[in-house]
Amino acid sequence: MSAIAPAVVFFAVAGLAPLVVRDAFLLDSLVLILIWGTSAAAWNVAGGYAGQISLGHSAFFGLGAYAAALFGARWELSPWLGLAVGAVVAMAIGLVIGYLSNRLRGPYFVLATIAFSQVLLIVGSRWRGFTAGSEGIPVPFRPGFWTLGIADKRVWVWIVLGLAVLAYLVQLYLERARRGYQLAAVREDEDAALSLGVPARRLKVAAICVSAALTAACGALWAQYIGFVDPFYVFSIDLSVKFALAAIIGGLGTALGPFLGSALVTTVETYLRAQFGGIGAGLVGIYLIVYGCALIVMVRWVPQGLVGWIGDRLRRRAVARVAP
Amino acid sequence: MHVIPQLIVSTLLLGGIYALIAVGLTLIFGVMRVVNFAHGEFLMLAMYVAFWAFSLLHFDPYLTLVVSLPLFFAAGWASYRAVMRPVIHASHNVQIFTTVGLSIALQNLALVLWTADARFVRTDYYAVVVRIGGAAFNVAQIVAFVVAVGFTAGLFAFMRWSYTGKVMRATAQDRQASALMGIDTDRVYAVTWAVGIVCVGAAGVLLAPIYPVYPTAGLQFVLIAYVAVVLGGLGDMVGALIAALVVAAVEVIGSYVIGTAWKEVLYLLLFIGILVVRPAGLFGQRGAEALGT
Repeated sequence: MSAIAPAVVFFAVAGLAPLVVRDAFLLDSLVLILIWGTSAAAWNVAGGYAGQISLGHSAFFGLGAYAAALFGARWELSPWLGLAVGAVVAMAIGLVIGYLSNRLRGPYFVLATIAFSQVLLIVGSRWRGFTAGSEGIPVPFRPGFWTLGIADKRVWVWIVLGLAVLAYLVQLYLERARRGYQLAAVREDEDAALSLGVPARRLKVAAICVSAALTAACGALWAQYIGFVDPFYVFSIDLSVKFALAAIIGGLGTALGPFLGSALVTTVETYLRAQFGGIGAGLVGIYLIVYGCALIVMVRWVPQGLVGWIGDRLRRRAVARVAP
Repeated sequence: MHVIPQLIVSTLLLGGIYALIAVGLTLIFGVMRVVNFAHGEFLMLAMYVAFWAFSLLHFDPYLTLVVSLPLFFAAGWASYRAVMRPVIHASHNVQIFTTVGLSIALQNLALVLWTADARFVRTDYYAVVVRIGGAAFNVAQIVAFVVAVGFTAGLFAFMRWSYTGKVMRATAQDRQASALMGIDTDRVYAVTWAVGIVCVGAAGVLLAPIYPVYPTAGLQFVLIAYVAVVLGGLGDMVGALIAALVVAAVEVIGSYVIGTAWKEVLYLLLFIGILVVRPAGLFGQRGAEALGT
């Protein structure tokens, strides 16, 4: 069980920053940290709390992004509606993947989730009549809150912060409520949990559905914020890995971890892109090399993540103080 | 009906290459219980080896194939030592993320070093087409098929009759018992991993004269290999061989019937279908991912 004070500080700083900060670059970074942090938190609900490691969460993200973009660009409806529809469709697919998670374990499940995101990638990039194909969809800018055409980045911080807090509360629920304990039991030993009468299957499916819906909501907001949806990006395996990476760096199965992980990952990415982006076209990939190595290093030496590592340190210090 | 010979020949040629990629993957899984998510990146790197040997040293890809096998073995051995060895007894999740991390790092290393441009190995015989009995095929495809089948057969023989192969199979069956019998399992894993990389490396060099190479080139092939390996039963080498032919048939016939644009959807749906209906594959056993640990 984690203390909520650090999280309150984190979200308060993020929420109050727009009142002080005027710099567009910093505000942009903050929006992205919150969006990727929320996506990682959503991934964490399935991957961290339920133990269902997915490398296909970009499927849900892309669904949300496409739903918002299509509602706005094609049907001239509100992207908020797109967000809701995207979340519902993602939940439906989450049901299927949740069903698969009850039949497949470990690497099999990972492969199935990758296959899902690849199917959506192909549909998104080839079904020209509906999705505009591989060109992607530019999201029209229609000013107003209902149409999510907001130029002011400060407002974006607050909108995304709302979703971030929601994702945090979902995770907190999983840490504090009876269902959360049951889910942890399923994650640690499914057979033992089943023998104690825990509805393991239903809990896993529910966790994956909630995770899918939250991820889709992130995708919808991201599409509106960036203004363009590219199928090769929103459905990519790299994006799925990014969610997982932020959660792993921050701490699997911790509520604040994904946000801290995202703050670190997003900052490093922005810095490296700015540093190497202009020199040669290929050098942009340097931040991904760093991602890959960070992933190998983290799971090997710091599997508990930043939050777990800091927690261990504090506890050890407290013990050292008590002991003579 | 004139297309049927062509479809059969195309299936066989494609299936041979897929088999060689899939066999390496399934060997590593069978012995080590690790799904190598970086398999496609080793394929891509091998294609680059063929490309650079061709453009800098003017090596024919088939000369490169012979010369580079020790190189792939060494690369496999080194990557096992550096990356896989520390996590070999860790949980599935740690192993998954380790190989995924390796995959991303290698893919983008290629991007940084050689940019995203698609590069081609243009040999003299690139456009030579052979026609036999109504079926047309490319010389490079035939060579790739013959070498791939020979390679796969050699691997089968190696696993079946050589002492090292027997030791590898023993380790696959029971890690602890093998260790008690005096088998150096760490060495077995290193050899297994290296042999798996040699297989995929050979496949990469054979593919170089047929397909363009770019940093994400491995993905499309490795996805097919995953399908073949799961269809054949993870860890089952004969199963992988048959399944590679099945997947190739689905791809070839699918391309002919509904067009090349949607062929990937076909085998991915086949993949999800297998996972739903029979996750252990056509010939595999249930719970294979937890066997022998």
